[in-house]
Amino acid sequence: MRKVLFVFVLIVCFRLMAEDKEEKITAEEIIETMTETLNPEQSEAVMEMTIITSSNQERTFVYKAYSKNKGEKSLMKYLEPGRVKGQTVLMLNNADDIWMYFPRTNRVRKLATHAKKQKVQGSDFSYEDMGSSNEFIDDYNSVLIGEEEKEEKLCYKLGLTKKEGLDAGYSYLMVWVEKESYVPVVISYYHEKDKNLLEKELVLSDVQTIDGIPAPMEMVMYNKLDDTKTTMRFRELAYDVNLSDNLFTEMGMKK
Amino acid sequence: MKDKAFFNKLIFFVVVSGFAIISYVNAEELDIFGYFEPQFIVLYREGESYQMNSDKLRVDLQHSVREVEFGADLVYTLYYGKKNWNALDFLPDVIRSEVPEGMQSYFLFSFNDTLYLDNTYVKMSNSRVSCTFGKQQFSPGTGYFSNPVDVFNSKDALDPTYEQTGHNGARMDIMFSSRTNLMFLYSPIESDWTNSGKLLRFKIGLSHFDFTLSGYEFRDHLTDFYSLSVINQRRRLVGCEFVGQLFGLGVWGEGAYSFLDESDDFYEFLVGTDYTFESGFYFLLEYHRNERGETSYQDYDINDWLRFYLGENKTISRDQMYGMFSYPIADLINLQLLSVLSFNDGSAAIVPVIDYNIFENVDINIMGNIYTGSEGNAYNSKLGNGLVIRARVYF
Repeated sequence: MRKVLFVFVLIVCFRLMAEDKEEKITAEEIIETMTETLNPEQSEAVMEMTIITSSNQERTFVYKAYSKNKGEKSLMKYLEPGRVKGQTVLMLNNADDIWMYFPRTNRVRKLATHAKKQKVQGSDFSYEDMGSSNEFIDDYNSVLIGEEEKEEKLCYKLGLTKKEGLDAGYSYLMVWVEKESYVPVVISYYHEKDKNLLEKELVLSDVQTIDGIPAPMEMVMYNKLDDTKTTMRFRELAYDVNLSDNLFTEMGMKK
Repeated sequence: MKDKAFFNKLIFFVVVSGFAIISYVNAEELDIFGYFEPQFIVLYREGESYQMNSDKLRVDLQHSVREVEFGADLVYTLYYGKKNWNALDFLPDVIRSEVPEGMQSYFLFSFNDTLYLDNTYVKMSNSRVSCTFGKQQFSPGTGYFSNPVDVFNSKDALDPTYEQTGHNGARMDIMFSSRTNLMFLYSPIESDWTNSGKLLRFKIGLSHFDFTLSGYEFRDHLTDFYSLSVINQRRRLVGCEFVGQLFGLGVWGEGAYSFLDESDDFYEFLVGTDYTFESGFYFLLEYHRNERGETSYQDYDINDWLRFYLGENKTISRDQMYGMFSYPIADLINLQLLSVLSFNDGSAAIVPVIDYNIFENVDINIMGNIYTGSEGNAYNSKLGNGLVIRARVYF
């Protein structure tokens, strides 16, 4: 009887400790886990990006995307449409260094970091949105606001404020992270100059487990200022890949 | 010349044979793409207006077998409207009057329909070494409007991104590390090794900068339009380039010093900067000095003008400033303003541009051409103000 009681007490203690740990999870830990979930060690994908303009016109781009070192290195090569076919973007150091390759001229052009603010092929994603895997950790101070149901999922709600002196593209982010999978469900981006002006909203959905890692297969970016939206959907995705470092070079861009 | 012709034939044979073999073995994997480009130009000069139009078809063929890539493209261009011109009509009266009456017919030229292989190459590569043989694209330099280290192409500063034709050569790229590589190009455009072009480029990335050093030896052709003779001399060029960022601005530059056997040595350099604002407004500025250009418009002679038109010299005046301002006024429409200003005579060319992606694979490009300079200036109105409407349909 004593033994049974002892085991029961132990279970209760562990349970309480576990609950205590869960309660005390910090905003930084949530953001770190979310960043790790979104940026596995390596990935190879074929993505489809569809832009819907304010005048309801549609443009679709298909590109091959590779990433390594948890997104620190990434490379995008356009497959469709014909007018951009073969154009390649290489981003190193979390998109602090960007190169573009234009196959018709066989020319590689290095872009300065201000180019991160430019729209990718006129979409609602900037290079910064697509290439900075660590931006949530490096560029923002995070605060756990609480828990809330979002898109029918129980989420942590976090507020991220831009760190002083950094050239991040947004002043404030509001992030809802699903408690179970640590995949963000919604990210609200507030204007660089006005913390109260909602500029964009990213909604991530259709979470599937790929090579043991939960991955949102569809991401929709709503531009609240321009009234446009861009949908990105994985056609193919693999995390269990072995990519060579040579792929993320000028020579790799031209292959 | 025999060697050159032989080399060209050899490359053509290798590439065509490659395509033939691929087509036979694996026809369904041959990638065919390209574009159709109708272009309408209206030119207004000295009270007269002219139309000179063209239809261009480019067909690209590409195929890869493991680490070997075959590529070629065929360009067919039809011209219509006013096709026959006299280069002297675009020169200041004082220059034109220097040309003897009997020699004026030498300056007539025509836009004739063309069909040619723009590029045709075989590229073999592994993870660190790449070799390309044949007619291929090569455009070195970090500048947007002009490239002092580029002796292969002659860019039009008023339409600087328009594609250039390929160049015959054998090229090898060796990658030592992720941001360090060496490139060697042999361009057999003359009769022997000694006179043919040889280029060596070493590129290294340090922090947020890329630096390139280059050395080039080739035959330089400079036409003397007074005697209608050509100075064919050895030219050795040493060049350096950088591109990176400072205080948030993109910065780049390139410089070249040329040693010539018979003419005076000269230098050329360009520095530039750019920035994108949060609103999407983008600006780019470049300063270009070309020692071969003249410091005063009173010194411009027929050689300066015609060498510039033929691409033998990059500019007429010595110092110029280029600017490009761009703003996306709608999701699919981009407004641009290109400008070129000669510091030496104060003349300028202004090119307003509208880029509109009207359908998924169709771009419309409308460009104006306004010259502000007076008679004799580098960018004078005698060159003709105009409008270019260009559509490009990709397939």
